[in-house]
Amino acid sequence: MRNKKLHTAVIVIFLAIIAVCLYYICIKNSIDSSIELGLDLKGGTQIILKPVNVGEEKITPESLDKAKLIIMDRIDKLGISEPLVTRDYSDNIIIQLPGVDDPNRALEVIGKTAQLEFRVLSGYFVSQEGIVPINSDSGQLYIDAEEKEIFLTDPSTGGAFGELAADPETGELLLAGIVGGEEKILGKLTNNPETGELLLAGIETGEIAGEILTNSRTGGASLVGPVLMTGDKLSKAMAGYDGSGRIIVSMSFTSEGQKIFEEITSENIGEQLAIVLDDEIKSAPVIRTAISGDAVIEGIDSLDEAKDIALVLQTGALPVSLKIEESSTVGPTLGKDALTKGLYAGIIGFVLIMLFMLAYYRGLGFVSVIGLVIYILIFWGIISGIGAALTLPGIAGIILTIGMAVDANVIIYERIKEEVKKGKSVRISINEGFKNGIRTIIDANVTTLITSAALYRFGTGPIRGFAVTLSLGIIISMMTSLILIRSILFLIAGNEKLATPGFLGVRRKGSSI
Amino acid sequence: MWFIISAVVILVGITGYFIQGGFNLGIDFLGGSLMEVEFTRDVNVSEIREVMEDIGFGNTILQKTADDRFIVRTIPIDIKTKNMILESLDKEIGINRPPVQDRSVFPGFGRQIAKYALIAIGISILGILIYVWIRFEFRFGATAIVALVHDVLVTLGVYAISNREINTATIAAILTILGYSLNDTIVVFDRIRENTPAARKLGYSQIVNDSVNKTLTRSINTSVTTLFPVILLLTLGSPALKDFAFALAIGIISGTYSSIFFASPILVAWNNKFPRYKK
Repeated sequence: MRNKKLHTAVIVIFLAIIAVCLYYICIKNSIDSSIELGLDLKGGTQIILKPVNVGEEKITPESLDKAKLIIMDRIDKLGISEPLVTRDYSDNIIIQLPGVDDPNRALEVIGKTAQLEFRVLSGYFVSQEGIVPINSDSGQLYIDAEEKEIFLTDPSTGGAFGELAADPETGELLLAGIVGGEEKILGKLTNNPETGELLLAGIETGEIAGEILTNSRTGGASLVGPVLMTGDKLSKAMAGYDGSGRIIVSMSFTSEGQKIFEEITSENIGEQLAIVLDDEIKSAPVIRTAISGDAVIEGIDSLDEAKDIALVLQTGALPVSLKIEESSTVGPTLGKDALTKGLYAGIIGFVLIMLFMLAYYRGLGFVSVIGLVIYILIFWGIISGIGAALTLPGIAGIILTIGMAVDANVIIYERIKEEVKKGKSVRISINEGFKNGIRTIIDANVTTLITSAALYRFGTGPIRGFAVTLSLGIIISMMTSLILIRSILFLIAGNEKLATPGFLGVRRKGSSI
Repeated sequence: MWFIISAVVILVGITGYFIQGGFNLGIDFLGGSLMEVEFTRDVNVSEIREVMEDIGFGNTILQKTADDRFIVRTIPIDIKTKNMILESLDKEIGINRPPVQDRSVFPGFGRQIAKYALIAIGISILGILIYVWIRFEFRFGATAIVALVHDVLVTLGVYAISNREINTATIAAILTILGYSLNDTIVVFDRIRENTPAARKLGYSQIVNDSVNKTLTRSINTSVTTLFPVILLLTLGSPALKDFAFALAIGIISGTYSSIFFASPILVAWNNKFPRYKK
């Protein structure tokens, strides 16, 4: 009798669990929206950004966290709702933007390093054909000086004061210029091997004297001096129009920034100040007097672009350079389609499994169908309760676990049938069947759990979703079949009318004649 | 004799690999951009190709989907180029914007995914080996792993022959196959472990044979119940789900086969070579 009480208690506990699950599914979250959908099902954009080593920047957990916050800030300012910014195990930053139709603007803004620099413009490179572009070969920048003469011209007068020439021995590009009436080699063009940046270095010392950057307005190569000031001294950036209706971004500095800006402008009167954003010269105004107030960026094509620039300047430069590794946008129709089709497959599959179990195991089959329904309810309730997002691979995982959930039942039922065929009573057979089957089920499921743990630890987004549903399914199915179904069967075994071999789907030899 | 069937299947797979010139890797691994575009009127591939050729994307891969949309797959391109392509397709033929699906993966990322997939496989195999070793015997663990490798090879072989695309979902499916096939093998091994004490009288190969027979109904029933939803997914599912279900279906069939006809004979052969129990 004590056993009977225990088994009744188990069933009551499960009924309570089911009630909690139903509460989450139907009341707390309402049945239609009881499961949070992943981006691949509800539509949206996912962007994976990978930090890249540039120069002396160090990728540390702190700098990545800071980058994450800055990105969140930028997305906020873009007005996108419910963004999700996370980091994965391998330093990638993953951005999920639900329901964004046109992610292009977000893509433009999110990954921008927004490294603002103020440098002196030394000159433009020109050839007979006009501007000289900077080319790129597998990340390394270079200037193609073959079959043409390239001169370095003064930005204010336009007069040439230097010329590029290839070193006949090494093939390196040298910059020759006239200094004090004498022709001298001013330096050589070299690459920063890590970043591919094109630099001007001293011929003997190798000391970096300047950098060659693209002017975003002309598309031509320009030579700039060392960095005099960076954007971290900025207090505010705003997009707007200047007095003559040109689109600009005006920037105000912090008090420290104002001081430095005044210093560098007073030292370089008559020169052109290059305002460099992410290695592109945005504008290069002539410094007429020392400036202590605002600076402006000109040469912007559209107000939208100006707004984007102001936005990234406002939120600050990213402490690490980020590269877009993957971007993926799924329209809402595609996801909906996948969800409906997955649901149909699941329902029909469930019905087929149900019919199969009923046909093969009769009464026992009926018990396992109850177990399966409870399994699905608990699964649904947990996913709904913890708010885990269901992804496409997640659906596949669930459908697979439904099939596998039946396995524990099949193992036990086969064991029970074996015992009955040996001539044992139904009651003893059920007892023996569980005792023999439990070890198999645990060993078989623990090994599957090991695989899904590895999947979770090393998988990326969607694979992780799959690992979660798979392990959840294994744990729930073990719980229902080893605890709940066991109790149900024992209660049935105690009932003489129910516990017949026919109930187990066994025709005992002799009895059928 | 059963080994021969497995060997033939795997050999055919390897031959297929070389005939097809390697696996058909998706942009997840090779990098690239993919857009699923819906046109406003009926078009055929050559019409789209003409437009793509005009703008310098002649070697684009074009593929019609079941929903009469087109997959346009190119090398990795930036947003500006992408917009230019959409612009041209819209002007020449007419499309619905935005595209139904729009993905870009940059080369190098795939290598990262592949690296972590391999680590995941390595760690699961190690974990499984240790677990089975503790719960059973070392030879059971090693045999289970051989059976796993067998199933993965068979699945990859079918992918090579059918030239189906391999993407991240395929990797997840293969890892699942590892779990499933193992599940099957463990159930059979568990029976062998249980019956081993009787080996002194009946001989090990008889014990293994009996154990396989005793678990046969279960192996088949479980495969059937698992295959029901997987095959439905394969016929009814969306393209991405179909991909996933395809790998699973092969894995389930191969996993059931290998636990019955592959793993168990290895145990017998092992015992014949290094007798621990009566042959």
